[in-house]
Amino acid sequence: MKIVACVKAVPEEQDISIKPDHTLDLSKAELKVGQYDLNAVEAAVQLQEATGSEEPLLVSIGTPKGLKNTKLQKAMLSRGAGALFGVADDSLDSIDALATASILAAAITKIGGVDLVVCGEGSGDIYSQQVGPLLGQLLGFANLNAVSRITPRGEKLEVERTLENEVEVLEVTLPAVLSVTTDINKARIPGLKEILAAGKKPITVWGAGDLAMTAASNIEVISTLAPPKAERKQIVLEGDSDENISQLADNLRKVL
Amino acid sequence: MSKLAKVFVFAEHVDAMRELAQGAAQLGETTALIWAGDKSQAGGTDTVYYLGELSNERILEHYAPTIINLIKTEQPSLVLVESSRKGRLMAGIIAAAMGTSVLADAAQITVDNGVVTQRMVYGGAALSTERSTAPTTVATVSAGIFEATDTGKAANLVEVPFIAPAPTVKCLERKIKAGESVNLRAAKRIVAVGRGFTSPEELQLAEQLAAAIGAEVGCTRPIAEEEKWMDKARYIGVSGVMAKPELYIGIGISGQVQHMVGVSSARTIIAINSDKNAMIFNQCDYGIVGDLKTVLPALTAKLSK
Repeated sequence: MKIVACVKAVPEEQDISIKPDHTLDLSKAELKVGQYDLNAVEAAVQLQEATGSEEPLLVSIGTPKGLKNTKLQKAMLSRGAGALFGVADDSLDSIDALATASILAAAITKIGGVDLVVCGEGSGDIYSQQVGPLLGQLLGFANLNAVSRITPRGEKLEVERTLENEVEVLEVTLPAVLSVTTDINKARIPGLKEILAAGKKPITVWGAGDLAMTAASNIEVISTLAPPKAERKQIVLEGDSDENISQLADNLRKVL
Repeated sequence: MSKLAKVFVFAEHVDAMRELAQGAAQLGETTALIWAGDKSQAGGTDTVYYLGELSNERILEHYAPTIINLIKTEQPSLVLVESSRKGRLMAGIIAAAMGTSVLADAAQITVDNGVVTQRMVYGGAALSTERSTAPTTVATVSAGIFEATDTGKAANLVEVPFIAPAPTVKCLERKIKAGESVNLRAAKRIVAVGRGFTSPEELQLAEQLAAAIGAEVGCTRPIAEEEKWMDKARYIGVSGVMAKPELYIGIGISGQVQHMVGVSSARTIIAINSDKNAMIFNQCDYGIVGDLKTVLPALTAKLSK
């Protein structure tokens, strides 16, 4: 079974600061692997371990700053995957979900023979939760989201989907795109050995021109602004003395 | 605000159907609902396109080719989609088939030289305003942005002929989800727990406080998804429940934006944390720096009097 997991480099949200005009300053934000993508990589690796397939491949698209960053490449490859395929171009910064899915589809087609694509629930930054569903339709594969368990059943997969009020158990014929939930597994934390080994794994980075793709977009981002901050009283008592707790209880009673 | 010619609604739950039907009426000259399942529940729009029953043999996803064909034929200007999990999947399928992207999780939606939506990005740190000029725009819509309408209006019902999908997904079983049903979105008071709790037993301290003041208990993502000490339905934040309580008490919670955005509209925010540098103290009305094992029992006792 040839398995691909999709990963995205996203800015560390703790390092995003807000400028006086409410726009975001991402210049100090280091890139990291999207937190929800870690579950996709883990699901791909666990399935590979269960089926004895080859190590899963990673596919990522973005800017050269992200994809040619060796620290980030190691962060991607130190979690059990065998190789990384990237599509890097400056024009790929903040493209919409359809453009992202189109390029991923082109890359997956170019890799060839892929049986299963695993996506996270959503990207760590934009989190529209749409790339997996769009990708499945573009590739013409079986296409499911909210996948909370994947079990190999011969040539097929048994998949559990956790919905709002019910759970579905489905038999899926490959090829498929599965978008997994954030609680499908607990992603492994790589050790020093894995991080060192990741430096030796094969990496292929294509430019936008290397793929047959159209990434036209009819969605325009008008603005991205920090929301107005609510004024809060910020009356903070230091220390858990009985007097302080009584005062907190008094304040709390006023709003009950 | 100018109106769009034709607005479609795709929903799987009745509550969302009622809200989105109202949204469609506000945004469009004519409205239609795409519906599967119990036919008697469908309504609220000028037309209902009825797909058929839902069963193990035919789950909603099996209607995808039928829905795509309907949308390609009818060419609505906008499809409002319920932001349930199945809704999100269908939004992506419809959008890809129509060659457009999805305006995801719209918290506000207007018509202004296209369809303009506002949504949260970067874990709630920012609001993004986006405009779609696609011939057919697809938007998933957050719950509660339109008032639900009475769906009593008699609609023109059209039975849509079924187009069989590729036989790649077979439903073996559907079961009611185990676990508790709790609706934190509707809770007026929330006591929330975070990483400051070191064992599941300690959660009782928060539960006792919640019981004393008639609050629901919520938690941060790690408590639900990593520790699994609480049901996922209790997890507050950008990828969990977006709550609207009047009172929120955060205990042992650092105050990261991804969590706080889920309660940011609370009238009063109270913080209890042993770390005086915790970010939550900059975002609270009242706070106390102290050990939750000391503060909680004492506070519960005082409030129970």
